[in-house]
Amino acid sequence: MSYQNPKIAETAETLRQRFTELTVKTDILKAVELKALYAEIPTLSNDQRASFGQEINQLKSELESMVNGHQPEAEKLLPIDVTAPFDRNISLDKHPTLLPAENGSKHPLIIEIERIADIFYRMGFEVIESREIDDEYHMFTALNFPEGHPARDDYDTFMTVQKDKNGHPLVAPAHTSTMQHRVLKTQKEKLEKGEPIAVVIPDRVFRNEDLDATHEHTFHQIEGIYVGKGVHAGMLIATLKTYLKEYFGEDLQVKLQPFYFPFTEPSFELAVERPSILRKDDSEEQKWLELLGCGMIHPNVLKMAGIDPEIYTGFAWGQGVERMVMMKNGIEDIRHFQSGKLEFLRQFV
Amino acid sequence: MKVSVNWVKWYSDIDLPPIDELVTKIGAQLGAVEEVIDIGAKYKGIVVAKVVSCEKHPNADKLNVCAIDDGGNTPDVNRDENGHIQVVCGAPNVREGLLVAWIPPNVVVPSTYDTSDPFTLEARELRGVVSNGMLASGKELVINEDHDGILEVDEDVAPGTPFAAVYGLDDYIIDIENKMFTHRPDCFGQLGVAREIAGILGQKFISPDWYLQSPKNTAEQAGELLPLEVRNEIPELVPRFMTVAMSGIEIKPSPLWLQSYLSRVGIRPINNVVDVTNYMMMLTAQPLHAYDYDKVKAIDSGDKAILVVRKPKSGEKLTLLNDKEIQPRDDAIMIASATRAIGLGGVMGGADTEVDENTKNIILECANFDMYSIRRTSMAHGLFTDAVTRFNKGQNALQNDRVIGKSMQMIAELAGGKIASEVSDENGEIHASAKIAVTPGFINARLGLDLGGIEISNLLKNVEFIFPQVGGDSKEASLEVTVPFWRTDIKIPEDIVEEVGRLYGYDKLPLKLPQRLMIPTQRNALLETKTRIRDILSGAGANEVLTYSFVHSNLLEKVGQNIELAFQINNALSPDLQYYRLSLTPSLLEKVHPNIKAGYSEFALFEIGRAHSIGEQDPYEPDIPKEVNALSFVYAAKNPGHGAAYFKAKHTLSHLLANFNVDHYVGFEPLKNADLYNNPWIEQMAALFEPERSAVLRDKEGMIWGVVGEYKANVRKNLKLPEYVAGFEIDPLLMFLHNKTLFQYQPLPRFPKVMQDITLKVPTELLHAELFRFVSDYLTKHKPNHVICNVASKDIYQKENDPAYKHVTFGITMASYEKTMRDEEVTTLLNGLADEAKQRLGATRV
Repeated sequence: MSYQNPKIAETAETLRQRFTELTVKTDILKAVELKALYAEIPTLSNDQRASFGQEINQLKSELESMVNGHQPEAEKLLPIDVTAPFDRNISLDKHPTLLPAENGSKHPLIIEIERIADIFYRMGFEVIESREIDDEYHMFTALNFPEGHPARDDYDTFMTVQKDKNGHPLVAPAHTSTMQHRVLKTQKEKLEKGEPIAVVIPDRVFRNEDLDATHEHTFHQIEGIYVGKGVHAGMLIATLKTYLKEYFGEDLQVKLQPFYFPFTEPSFELAVERPSILRKDDSEEQKWLELLGCGMIHPNVLKMAGIDPEIYTGFAWGQGVERMVMMKNGIEDIRHFQSGKLEFLRQFV
Repeated sequence: MKVSVNWVKWYSDIDLPPIDELVTKIGAQLGAVEEVIDIGAKYKGIVVAKVVSCEKHPNADKLNVCAIDDGGNTPDVNRDENGHIQVVCGAPNVREGLLVAWIPPNVVVPSTYDTSDPFTLEARELRGVVSNGMLASGKELVINEDHDGILEVDEDVAPGTPFAAVYGLDDYIIDIENKMFTHRPDCFGQLGVAREIAGILGQKFISPDWYLQSPKNTAEQAGELLPLEVRNEIPELVPRFMTVAMSGIEIKPSPLWLQSYLSRVGIRPINNVVDVTNYMMMLTAQPLHAYDYDKVKAIDSGDKAILVVRKPKSGEKLTLLNDKEIQPRDDAIMIASATRAIGLGGVMGGADTEVDENTKNIILECANFDMYSIRRTSMAHGLFTDAVTRFNKGQNALQNDRVIGKSMQMIAELAGGKIASEVSDENGEIHASAKIAVTPGFINARLGLDLGGIEISNLLKNVEFIFPQVGGDSKEASLEVTVPFWRTDIKIPEDIVEEVGRLYGYDKLPLKLPQRLMIPTQRNALLETKTRIRDILSGAGANEVLTYSFVHSNLLEKVGQNIELAFQINNALSPDLQYYRLSLTPSLLEKVHPNIKAGYSEFALFEIGRAHSIGEQDPYEPDIPKEVNALSFVYAAKNPGHGAAYFKAKHTLSHLLANFNVDHYVGFEPLKNADLYNNPWIEQMAALFEPERSAVLRDKEGMIWGVVGEYKANVRKNLKLPEYVAGFEIDPLLMFLHNKTLFQYQPLPRFPKVMQDITLKVPTELLHAELFRFVSDYLTKHKPNHVICNVASKDIYQKENDPAYKHVTFGITMASYEKTMRDEEVTTLLNGLADEAKQRLGATRV
């Protein structure tokens, strides 16, 4: 690291040298030279003060990282032969073993995703994973969100300082639909062979939200895409209804509410009749469970992937995973999922 | 979007079903309903009364004792001989003959109705005089903010009329999610929603004449004109800018019916002019703005008021109506006088040209602004006004003349204004109504329906789509649809499909599953590998965790990773989410200490996720960053076990590799001095591991799969890890790439096995793997034909007083496929092995 201010640069050099000689490395943070620099701040004029202060802070954090990066010899353990299967002087009955199988667990969200993906796999859908960093083109533009469109505001998207080739920030996908354009583009030859495109995409997605018991900035979605000849809205409902019957193990009523997504036309929110064991009372609110967003894929989305919307039509949907798992298990706080608490995890064997 | 059912009734003659049915219908065919508010419930029992006498309170200067006539219908209340009721009132404006709102005893004060502590009146004494309930102020009645006096009923109604009926308060407010209308500019007005309600009920809606046709101005012309000059310099961002000056304005509170309508949909009444602009906005979704003409004129100190629509000048500042000073973004739309900015077009007016109680002359503006520009300005300055909500949906400029015409008429009626200038109309390009050709066949194919042209056109005609001609009921004859001008969202035939589906009712669509071809569905090998890894590791007693993909810079520093390689998040609300992680292990290590503290003394965590580093591009999509699939596993114990923790982690990893049949394809070599090929993921991931107690996992082709080992002392210290901790991070992608052909079955020999151990004393620094390989290679080379030979590591022993040497024991098992092997044959072979080991490795047999 280099410093513009000559006095700070000089002090930095002195302190770096001293650090190599110190026995108690943390003493470097108490160096009188550092204190002297801080003492100088009040004597400076306003316009100098900001940059001087900034550089001192930089120097301080450089020293801190030197201290952090230094391994105290005393705590370092002796070298071992890492190519051996076990340590020396260990009797045969003490050779390393696995932990007891009954302690093991898979994550409840993963178990749920595997279950849902399996249903769709059996229905003829391929399963494809999404991404954790993507560009605006796939997250928005290719899904018929024009640049500057207010619909982009509904997706509180994390963006990076680093830019893509068009000068846009990279994004943490706020929905697994970020894969839709890729899937359509890479699988469109199937359509010409008379086969449909049928894919589900489970993965984690991100929304820039404050955390509380019911809001997470990191959660999971399953996206579904189906495109072929003569695909209509009645098929969308029938397909989702069939999935829900398999998922809940009973034939439940569904209802559609009109909705707006830029990438589907028409768009719906699908609610399913809540299975009786998940109902708290007989109220209308408890009767319906808003489960997923869906719709007929917007012709512009098909066009952008090189698919002729006059010949082929399709539907897509997206479902959140956390809420279902919470409701089914009575989990009281969404933050438990990413907490790494064994007390929580080991309940899901 | 708050919709007043009374407002809907007022502007249409549709037959509305009971409220519950209406709400269900709206939910199914228009958009999700967030809330239904029964306004009428608040006013139950409150009636209009007439003050028949008003006398000073004998014991209080500021109070009056009134007798009121309530029409005689209120039950259970004390009346005098004339049937009148005694009420004590402290309002300065109470007087004989006044019509007031009376809240009888046992009735709740409306302003407290929704609170945790509703206030129910009773007959009680005030300074010795009984007051039966109270006469209410506008604030207590939730009509306006006025609490200086009681509300004066300004409609000619008989005493005893329920108060709610006078001002349309026997109403329901249906709050529909705004998100539903992201593409519906028209539905941000009551008129638009009323039209949709008619449509979904299968009834015909007819917009008021003044909205459908260009207006004939009905307001009176002023004798003397107000000079006004208007220039639109940016017609590309402001397609239409209409203004008119009005003189002779008398600013006062609006009539109560208007205040009541506004307050019910969440708008605070201000004065008659501002209320008219808000009313028209709530009705038509077209925002308007009123300026004080004289204030605008005074800015330039000339003989006329000047309005210029332009971009900001460099360094220009503006104080808005909310008293905040902003420096507008470069491309904002400014409304200015000749010399300086006075408003942020389409977002918020300026403070110093505001209409106030002294205003005599106004300029009324009704304009159209580019929705994208409005959105960017709103985002840049954090200004989210009712005008922004409407302009950023894309209002049609065609409605401007109609809305300004109606507004002028209302201002003339309610504020006495007269038209004092030409209606200026500075235009850019105005989009005409869209015309779309679509066949019933196209619509049916997308909805799975079988509707004819007449049925389709009737559904759409209900919401005022225009069909110059319907080609009979044929399914293939094209329907030429003229879209009403307010539906700027409808551009393509698929948009018509949505309208038809929605108005027809999605719940009536016939269900049909797509037909499947008898082709096997492709499996996803990587995903299956991940599932298998999860099953194996959870079967090995480990617990799967999920941790955030983003980390705090602190964590990267604590583990000594290079922060400059990490993608940085620009806009995170939480300071914990600053960087994309470079590897998974740091996140897992963070979870170790809390679990030990929670009382778990020995456990293993694992996660499968992704890692990212700047500079590494995706091999298939070079424009976006590469995502490395990573599996991280961490074993930790509060108290040390037997041997180094390293071997616990390595044992689990070996178990996993064996399950994938790749254990013979990969080897472990010391991390110290290992070539990591400058691979950023491996380098950053390996940065946590202690080089002298960790190994690189490398396959036969030289590819690095990952690292297994213990963590550096400072990592342990910074993350409060116990000493007995180790783990690995590997790329699971490689597991399935090589998990194909490596398994080789060994036929079972019929003849008995011979087993012997051999112990060699070798220099400590000789790697166990080298010695093992030497032994295996020797035996493979020298064993008799048709004999199988297995070598197993059995023991490593080091004398405390002899650190330079170690004793390593191997168990050798041999069997022949042809005959019974004799011990001597094995002994001879092992003697040969010992001799060779002595020569080549300096080993002694023990």
